[in-house]
Formats: sequence, structure tokens, C-alpha cells
Amino acid sequence: MRRALLERFPLRKALLKNRDILKIKRPLVFLAVFLFLAPLDPMGLTGLVSPAYAEEASFGDMLVSSSIGDARTLVPILASDSASGDICGLIFNGLVKYDKNINLIGDLASGWEIKDGGLTIIFYLRKDVKWHDGAPFTAKDVKFTYERLIDPQVPTPYSGDFKKVESLKVIDDTTIKVTYREIFSPGLASWGMPIMPEHILKNEDLLTTDFSRNPVGTGPYKFVRWRSGERIDLISNHDYFEQRPYIDRYIYRIIPDPTTMFLELQTEGVDYMGLTPLQYKRQTDTPFFKERFRKFRYPAFGYTYMAFNLKDERFRDKRVRRAINYAVDKEEIIEGVLFGLGRVCTGPFVPESWAYNEDVKPLRYNPDRARKLLKEAGWEDTDNDGWLDKNGEVFEFTIITNQGNDTRKHTAEIMQRRLREIGIKVNIRILEWAVFLNEFVNKRRFEALILGWGLSRDPDCYDIWHSSKTKEGEFNFVGYSNPEVDRLLEEGRGTFDIIKRKAIYREIHQILYDEQPYLFLYVADALPAVHRRFRGIEVAPIGIGHNFINWHVPKREQRYRQ
Amino acid sequence: MKELFRNRLALSGAVIILVLMVMAIAAPFVATHDPTSINIKNALVSPCREHLFGTDMLGRDIFSRIVYAARIALSIGFVAVGIAALIGVFFGSIAGYYGGRLDSIIMRFADIMLCFPAFFLILSVIAIVGPNIFNIMIVIGLTSWMGIARLIRAEILSLKTRDFVSASKALGAGSRFIIMRHLIPNGIAPVLVSFVFGVAGAILTEAGLSFLGLGVQPPNPSWGNIIMEGKAVLGVGWWVILFPGLAILITVLAFNLLGEGLRDALNPRLKR
Repeated sequence: MRRALLERFPLRKALLKNRDILKIKRPLVFLAVFLFLAPLDPMGLTGLVSPAYAEEASFGDMLVSSSIGDARTLVPILASDSASGDICGLIFNGLVKYDKNINLIGDLASGWEIKDGGLTIIFYLRKDVKWHDGAPFTAKDVKFTYERLIDPQVPTPYSGDFKKVESLKVIDDTTIKVTYREIFSPGLASWGMPIMPEHILKNEDLLTTDFSRNPVGTGPYKFVRWRSGERIDLISNHDYFEQRPYIDRYIYRIIPDPTTMFLELQTEGVDYMGLTPLQYKRQTDTPFFKERFRKFRYPAFGYTYMAFNLKDERFRDKRVRRAINYAVDKEEIIEGVLFGLGRVCTGPFVPESWAYNEDVKPLRYNPDRARKLLKEAGWEDTDNDGWLDKNGEVFEFTIITNQGNDTRKHTAEIMQRRLREIGIKVNIRILEWAVFLNEFVNKRRFEALILGWGLSRDPDCYDIWHSSKTKEGEFNFVGYSNPEVDRLLEEGRGTFDIIKRKAIYREIHQILYDEQPYLFLYVADALPAVHRRFRGIEVAPIGIGHNFINWHVPKREQRYRQ
Repeated sequence: MKELFRNRLALSGAVIILVLMVMAIAAPFVATHDPTSINIKNALVSPCREHLFGTDMLGRDIFSRIVYAARIALSIGFVAVGIAALIGVFFGSIAGYYGGRLDSIIMRFADIMLCFPAFFLILSVIAIVGPNIFNIMIVIGLTSWMGIARLIRAEILSLKTRDFVSASKALGAGSRFIIMRHLIPNGIAPVLVSFVFGVAGAILTEAGLSFLGLGVQPPNPSWGNIIMEGKAVLGVGWWVILFPGLAILITVLAFNLLGEGLRDALNPRLKR
């Protein structure tokens, strides 16, 4: 859960740094640990039903969480990496959020009305909400946040969701009317965006404000201190409008290496981490570990892929892209790298999504087919040196991916080997995350790269596939352009009719798998481990973090006192 | 030479190096498997007859990888230090022979280079130019010539006042001739010792770089990157980290023993 660093993604999408814990920035939930319609691993649950479970909840204790990367900023509308998102999720609230069954419910809004066939939403805000500094929360804060979101001076990756808004009117202190220019189906969910306090940020520049390291929100936890690269401390908000959270303190420790993090977990220096598949499978079935920790397993809402740069002449040929898919054994990668803790990905949606098209069948490993297709495309080993060539040039390309993610590195190594067997020479380059994103992905300086997307609950994937989203820093970095897909994407976000949308996204799924602008690799499972002293963890379709404020530790088991 | 071979430790170092060299050259015959062949079903097999040193997470044979990695380690060691020696001898001899302002400039430049923490300098340069074997050789070479330059300069400073140099000059020899023919051959002994120690250092540096992911890139094995792989599986596969670690230890030790032996053998004051 808290391992992936994401950067620059819109509200509903995230570049995933670590595959194992797919982490999406979601202002809509706390703790961002997602469980989606999946059974828990039975092993993780053995011994779960203990008498202590029924004990009365008591306040106190502290949860020490861990993350590979540090947060970047705590201004929530600028926070695009998962670490920042985790912390902002505890400090701030949106107008709406997802409940444990992935239905939108009110958060700062106590209710809403949808009018004019979806063009107007009227939000009724809660009256009892106070900012951490005691000032009352009002509709003005919402208006302020909206104005910052659409301000061209504010480099927020979330602005796209609010550009379709025609007007936002404050009717009174607790009522807001939002009017859309046209039907925008992800509209309501987009109001899960954290709301910022107007009275503090009114005259501040969001890029330079002290607020980014000293935030004030409405959420269940208050900010205490942030030691860069080391830890972030939060304390519970006793006046939180839902209830006072049971866990008094929340510490977010930055530990950049999964092995070290795991050692810390075993010595109980950390209460909560995302396990790697190797740790989950081979290192956590000891009595020692089981006595102290519970581990969970559920499919994460995201996928890992290898993207082809479609500006590259060689990859513009669909036959070549399909051939490369045939040459790579996806099952082998899932078996070898994920230890079976994942599934083959067949397109831009995960099986749990209602947009998923189960008729799309993955291309099975078939190296002969791959060779044939490449031959058709003109790639042949004419000089018998073992490498395919065309017009005297050897088929050679470099796969880049980010550091700190062994799963991706191993995936690349397996692909390198399998492609070598059909005569394609692959180099691998591992880059530091920020450099990888800023210098290579955003500037389109790559031939192929391995990366992951965290997905929204809403299947709208306009930003990733629409041909207008290919500018520097935007998400269609492969340069995919297909008028048919463009049209479908526009239609998909322009209607509320779920049956129509379903048909549209199923078609997009089919086209994208057929065209293979990505080599869709796998959907990995999230594998969190939590210390056993925490009770009240409720496994739900959305994950285990949804009721974090209800987690508690029985008095006699509490370890930390103030 | 006799002194050297009388020194058992140095001799054993030399023998180990020789064995390593043979192993590296004959890697395809020594290795039992293809070092880059991936076999998921064979992942993390503990050492057995089939896989002498076990296998790693992707089912690659560690023994074969270590054997092939010896090639890379030794070639980086020798080439990098070779580059360093060429640069060092060139600058050192010029500085020592001509002296004066040229000497000051060269030696102050060497001092400046020495001020940088070498490993971090190498790290940042590699990060910029991109990691591959040639870049590593060159970068290590370019950042480790200073010691050699100082040694040869010191030797030449004392040699150039000797009578045979004056005689050579009187006979009309040019500076270049004197440096190449008289000074360098007579002053090379300490460089030789430093060269051997340098190889050990370069092998360690390469292992460190590869461990950090900035050295030899996959699929090529290197002792450092095998250890990096092993770190993640330390709890379930001790063999992945142990054997390449031993390989580094033994190799570096061998070069150091040989270096010490050479130093003693070449030191006239220790002669019996």
C-alpha cells in the first residue's frame, strides 16, 4: 500500500512505481489500501477470530506505517505521488468518498441532488465540520479549491476533471450548485478531491506556500511534523466530525528498501507494510510472523505493462507489437516474478471493473507465431548472426524502468531472454524514479518502458488513450492515436447510461488489445501485512483502509503511550 | 623474482589470480549452464550437484554466472587500472622531469582530483554517461591515476639528478628519450605494486557500482549485481549472496597478497 511513489497523474490514474502494492492516489479513501471483491488469502486469516476481537474498543496507541518514498508536497491538489496522497488522505476530506462497497457516499457533503439530466449537482454540506485550527468549514472553501483547480497558474494534474464545469455557485454557507457544460459521467466522483481551507491559503502561492509542509485539513488526523526522508507524524483529531479515531498517533516512516522494511516489520519497528510476492510466499509463513502479523491478499486496481513508443518506426507496425507479445510468456512472468500472486492482463481494465471485457483472450506464448509475424513485417535474420535485421539494421531496443522495483526488473530480464530467443536484442536500463519520469517518460525519450497504471473505479481512461493527450507530461506518452478510440472515449464520458458505457468500454478494451499499443502484462495482487494488535480491521470490496478510524488496540496490548 | 616466489602468501595470491584468469578465459567450458538462461521452475534451488552454487530467483545457475562474471571483473580491473597507469605515468613523469610551473599545475590538478570522494564521483559520472562496461572501465581509469602519478614523479625527481641521466644529457639525448628510456624503466617498480593493488580496488569499485545498479547491466552477470539480486532473497536463499561475495573476497585478497609480495620483493632495504 504505501510503497509506490506516483507522480503526476490525474485524480483517477496513477503511474505506479511498485507493482506489488498498486497504489492509486485516491482522495476518496483513507489509507489507500484497496481490497476489491476478492477473497482474503485463507492463510492470512487463520487465527483471526480471537476472543480479543470482541473486546471493547479503546483509544490510544500508535500505528507505524512504512513507505519506500517520501511525500513531495502536502498541498492535496498538487500531491500526485502515493506517499503524499496517503498523508493527504488522512488530513483532508473531499465532498464525496467511496464506501467500503465502492458506492459514492457523502464525506464533507451530507447529501446531493442531481438535476437537469446530470448537468447540475447541488451539494449540501455538513454543518458540523471544523478545520484543524478551529475555523468552520463552509461552501467558500469548496469554491476556493475549485478555483485553484482550474487556475492555469496551478500545475495540478487533476484539472482535467473540472474543465467541464461551467459554473460553481455558492448558494449559502452549506449549499453549492455545480453546473456542467455537457454530460460528464465521472463528474460526481471527481468531487472526492480534497478541499483546502480558504482562510489560510487565500493569499498564498500554492507552489511556494509553507502549507505544503504544514497542512491544515478537516480529516481524522492532524499534521504534527515532517522530517524529510525520515518520517511524517500525525495525531488524531478528537473533534473529527465522524468520530474520534481510536488510534491516537500515525507515523509514516520512509524506508527506501523493501528488504530493510521487512526486517523492520519483523522486529516490530513497523506495524504495516506492503509485502513483496517473495516475502508473502516464502518468508511470512513462519510461526513467528503469524503470531505477530496478519497478511492480506487481494487484487489491486491497476496493471503493469510494457509501453511501446509508437513514434518509433519499428513499433508502428502492429504485427511487430503483436509478435513481441507472442514471444513473451505472461504466465511465466506471473509465476516467476509474482509467485502466482497475480493474473494476466488483457487490456486497460482489470477483471473487477464493470468495463472489463471477458471475451478478450490473452495472446498465448507462441514464439513460432512471433517469428512468422516478424517475417511478414520484414524482419529476418539475413546474415545468420542470430539477430533479426531489416535493411541492414539489427532489431535492438532498450527497455527502461524504475529503480527499487525488483518485480519490474525481473520482468524485463525475462522478456529480454525470451526476445533474444526470437532474435530481438533487448537492453535494459534501470533509472531513478524522478529521472525516469521527468527525463524519459515525459520527454518521450524511450523505445519501450515498463510501468504500471493505478486505475479509478470509473473506467474513463481518456487521459491515457485519447490522441489529444500526447503533449509533454500528459499520459498518452506512447503517442497512441486512433479516431475510433477517440470517439468511443468521448462518448463514454458523455453519458450516464451504464449499459451504453459498458458497451463502449468493452469495445475500447477489444480494440486496445487487438492493437497492442502496450504489451499488457499482469494485474498484481496487493499484499499488505498489519500487526495483530490492531483490531476492527474490516475486509471489504474496497480494501482494508476504509475504516481506519475504527481500528483500535485493546488497552493491555497497547505498545506506545504518550 | 626469487624473493617473490619465496613469499608463500604472494605465491598463493599469484596462483589464485592465474586460476581466475584461466577460468575467465575458458568460461564457456568451465560454466555448467548458460549464465543468462532463465528457468522459472528452477528458481532458488539450493546448491546441489546440478547447480553447484544453487540458482537465483529467475532460475539462473549461480556458478555459471560467477564464472562469467570473473571475465567482467578481471577485464574491468586490468583495463581500468591500465588506463590509470598510462595517464598516471604520463603526467607523473612530465611533472617530475620538467618540474617548475608545469609540475605545480599537474600536481595541484592531481590534488584536486584526490579531494573528490572517488566512489561518489564515479557514481555521478556513470549516472550521466550511462552504465556499461566500457564506461565503467574508462571512468574508473580516469579517476584513479593520481596515486600512480605521484609515485612516478617522486621516483623521477630523485632519478633525474643521477649521473647516468647527466651522462645521457651530455651525449645529447633529448628529454623524451631520457624519460622513456632511463627514467620510467628505472622508476616503474612502485607503479607495478600500485597497479596490482589498483586492480583489486577497481574490482571492488565495479562490484559496488553493480550492486547499486549502476554497473554491469542485465543480463550480463557481475559479482556485484548477483549480490544485489541476493539481497532481496537473503531470507530464503543464502547461497545467492554468499558465493559471489566469496568470489570478490578471494579475488581482492589474492591481488592484495600479490601486491604486498611485490612490494617486499622490490624493496631493496628488505633484501637479505
